[in-house]
Amino acid sequence: MASAAAGSSAAVPFWRAAGMTYITYSNICASLVRSCLKEPYKSEAASREKVHFAISKWADGKPEKPTVRSDSPEE
Amino acid sequence: MAMAAFRREGRRFLLSPISHKPSTVARSAILSEEFHPSGTRSISTQVVRNRMKSVRNIQKITKAMKMVAASKLRAVQVRTENSRGLWQPFTALLGDVPSVDVKKNVIVTITSDKGLCGGINSTSVKISKSLYKFTSGPEKETKYVVLGEKGKVQLVRDSKNSIEMTITELQKNPLNYTQVSVLADDILKNVEYDALRIIFNKFHSVVSFIPTVSTILSPEVVERESESGGKLGDLDSYEIEGSETKAEVLQNLAEFQFSCVLFNAALENACSELGARMSAMDSSSRNAGEMLDRLTLTYNRTRQASITTELIEIISGASALTG
Repeated sequence: MASAAAGSSAAVPFWRAAGMTYITYSNICASLVRSCLKEPYKSEAASREKVHFAISKWADGKPEKPTVRSDSPEE
Repeated sequence: MAMAAFRREGRRFLLSPISHKPSTVARSAILSEEFHPSGTRSISTQVVRNRMKSVRNIQKITKAMKMVAASKLRAVQVRTENSRGLWQPFTALLGDVPSVDVKKNVIVTITSDKGLCGGINSTSVKISKSLYKFTSGPEKETKYVVLGEKGKVQLVRDSKNSIEMTITELQKNPLNYTQVSVLADDILKNVEYDALRIIFNKFHSVVSFIPTVSTILSPEVVERESESGGKLGDLDSYEIEGSETKAEVLQNLAEFQFSCVLFNAALENACSELGARMSAMDSSSRNAGEMLDRLTLTYNRTRQASITTELIEIISGASALTG
């Protein structure tokens, strides 16, 4: 159960209000933690952050041009 | 006499090089003899030798592929078993009810990008299609999200109007949680769903991969089901810390659950793919070996027959001269 880190009494936590999902929020927190590491562990952890896939949405039975999401999220 | 035996051998079926499905196409036969009017010569040894060389090369390649798959499998298997702990608390808390009846279903099918891995992709697609039929009905809507090239190709053939998204090139880097969670985020943002059903091949052992369905409910459906009692009805007995409401918590949980289950499913499918590829390449090497044995016999027979023919010619020519 993730309690809101801000501890504010707002009905919605700040990240939800900003349009992020819980997954995005936890990913950002995780990459923050990863960047706190020292070498050599830092480069090992960086390899766990690589993202690469090609996603293409379909409309009316036809695929649109695939967008390639290839980034290693660095926050 | 030699000729009669030779003709009999010549009619033996020559086996073609292995195609991509070695277990199914074991013995496709072609006749490639040249029947001269006198029937003296048949297959030349050169043809058989070439065929043997290509079969031998294929055998080496499939053996190498099996080794590669085996070594990759060892690494991924460890990660898969560790990742099983991610979704077990969720199932303990929220249960996994595939028989839930909802209006909007999204079927997430996980397949591989590369081929030569046996039948696992076909079984996944088959189960997706039957699940589609199972969950469709009046006022209900079912959509596909396909991960992997092979599933996309198979589903495009007859269900392309129900495909919402396709994702490929997932395994370019080794699978990690960040990648899968970003993917899960993309899926969640782009589809409306009441229930997500993830179909993948669960890895039980190197020779057994069981197609499995994991169901994840959206927070609203969880609310609805918890009112009707059962496992989800106990949710209210939990205290919620912090300043969040139950709806908040359920939404966070649903998103995180999807991400975890998808991660585990992708890993299990990768394991199953490697295991299936190992066994496919293994049976392919074995078939190639058998084919080589048969070809060697044919080659020797051909060689001996041609030598016999030459001897006969020489001897009859010599006796014609002296006689």
